[in-house]
Amino acid sequence: MSSVIIARRSVSSDRASVGILPAIVAALVVGVFVYIRVIPLDSIEARSLEVPLILNAVWEHIQLVLVSTLLTITIGVPLGVALTRKGARRIGGLILVGANAGQAIPSIGVLVLLAILFGVGFWMAVIALLVYALLPVLRNTMVGIQQVDRAVIDAGRGMGMSTRQILSTIELPLSIPVMLAGIRVALILNVGVATLAAFTNAGGLGSIISAGIALNRMPVLLVGSVLTIALALSIDWLAGIAERLLRPRGI
Amino acid sequence: MSDQPGCGPDTMIFLDRVSKRYPDQPHDAVASLSMEIKRGEFVVLVGPSGCGKTTTLRMMNRLVEPSDGRIWIDGKDVTHVDVDHLRRGIGYVIQQIGLLPHLTIAENVSLVPKLLGTNKVKRLRRADELLDMVGLEPSTFAARYPRQLSGGQQQRVGVARALAADPPIMLMDEPFGAVDPIAREKLQMEFLSLQRQIRKTIVLVTHDIDEALLLGDRIAIFGEGSRLAQFDTPLKILTNPADDFVRDFVGAGAAVRRLSLLTVGDVIDRSTPLQDYLQSTVDIHPEESVHRALEQVLAAHAQGIAVTLPGADVRFIALQDLLMAAAQPTVATS
Repeated sequence: MSSVIIARRSVSSDRASVGILPAIVAALVVGVFVYIRVIPLDSIEARSLEVPLILNAVWEHIQLVLVSTLLTITIGVPLGVALTRKGARRIGGLILVGANAGQAIPSIGVLVLLAILFGVGFWMAVIALLVYALLPVLRNTMVGIQQVDRAVIDAGRGMGMSTRQILSTIELPLSIPVMLAGIRVALILNVGVATLAAFTNAGGLGSIISAGIALNRMPVLLVGSVLTIALALSIDWLAGIAERLLRPRGI
Repeated sequence: MSDQPGCGPDTMIFLDRVSKRYPDQPHDAVASLSMEIKRGEFVVLVGPSGCGKTTTLRMMNRLVEPSDGRIWIDGKDVTHVDVDHLRRGIGYVIQQIGLLPHLTIAENVSLVPKLLGTNKVKRLRRADELLDMVGLEPSTFAARYPRQLSGGQQQRVGVARALAADPPIMLMDEPFGAVDPIAREKLQMEFLSLQRQIRKTIVLVTHDIDEALLLGDRIAIFGEGSRLAQFDTPLKILTNPADDFVRDFVGAGAAVRRLSLLTVGDVIDRSTPLQDYLQSTVDIHPEESVHRALEQVLAAHAQGIAVTLPGADVRFIALQDLLMAAAQPTVATS
């Protein structure tokens, strides 16, 4: 009986938080479009704010974020798991120092450096985002696995589970919440950092913002920034839902 | 198979001069310990902390690999066999319980059968059976998650999980240590009666001498440096402690504790034929403990007990003599 009550309570509180964010996002987006319809636009502004142009920038931005985050997960999670294995724990600390350094470097620096070395474009931006977002994913994977209750692992070993079975049935499922939190942080970081990709010709909402700055047109700047915020909020909202769905029951 | 001295057909677990050394430590955690545990026996390892009792237990399923010596289980040298396979055949219960929080109770209980490849229908039927056995109603508990259970209920699940594959041996490391005192006593009594049905070979570690005296067929008292100070029945340990260490460890309450271990039959040599003029007696079965007999005599304000022996011979033991049985260990135990 109590389980049902617990479940019901969490569902209703989820619903409340799930409802508020989309409302804010919708208000922002509608507000922006109403704003550019209502105010008088000069020819430069009108050209910069054509709807297909905006939608294209949004789509580019989403692509940058998704591709870079997927790559970050593909590299960060297995690497994090590998670094918690026996024998690799010592170099684990070293790699974490490296990942820390990656995040400490200003992302614009990484972007520009990569652009100078390898040229510009979408994939350069993706690599820069990856360097920047690797730390939260890697660190949370390692912490997630290390925080698993030793008694549960001891019980698993005592029952005759192999190291591999302990990883797949105990360590990974129990570290999912911490891992997902890291991935969520990486996603949100990437939405922000991806605006800088405009400087290396990778497009995205950053190109609207930088156009606004370069042309000294406030409405253009405003649309770019507000849409970036709206995108960050909606991705965070989706990640929150994914977190709740993927979290194993019982913990 | 048993080419080892001290390893007969009745032997279930045999430790042959096992040692455990950890690097950077001056003394061995366990030093050349030999120990034989018989089939169906309930052995309790007890001693002060740091005496190596847990290390000894964990060497039996090789969660701790011995540095030296051999481990024999059921006539086979298992010192070097595949360790995961070995552990699937030995039940293991720990103080922290270690249920997998993201699995239901039924899934937790059927973990070992799953490892052994038992199909799901059989596994779940077995899980229900086991939950029933440890006093948890399957229809209520099977689908719950561990955090929805109290500590005592969780440890029942821990015991059920260890029994799932019907292993001949159970290793238990302070299984009732984290449970509150009232639930602990209940669990201990229930576990004893469960053991009477299932007759496993059980090795249990505790630091609590009362728990050891209550549960063990034999008790191994560990001294400093894993010295096996005495390995004997509870009654022998209470009546004939091997040395001052054992005497101190068992403590001052030994005489009173002995009352619950002695049966009336054990002290029958203190009896006299029942005289008719002694009216004030309580009828007691020879299998009852002296403790229980005393309780009844005191409750009834009687002068002593009347015991009917086989052959309808009725004997009388006075209250005084029952008390003396506790104070003077003169009984010859079988």
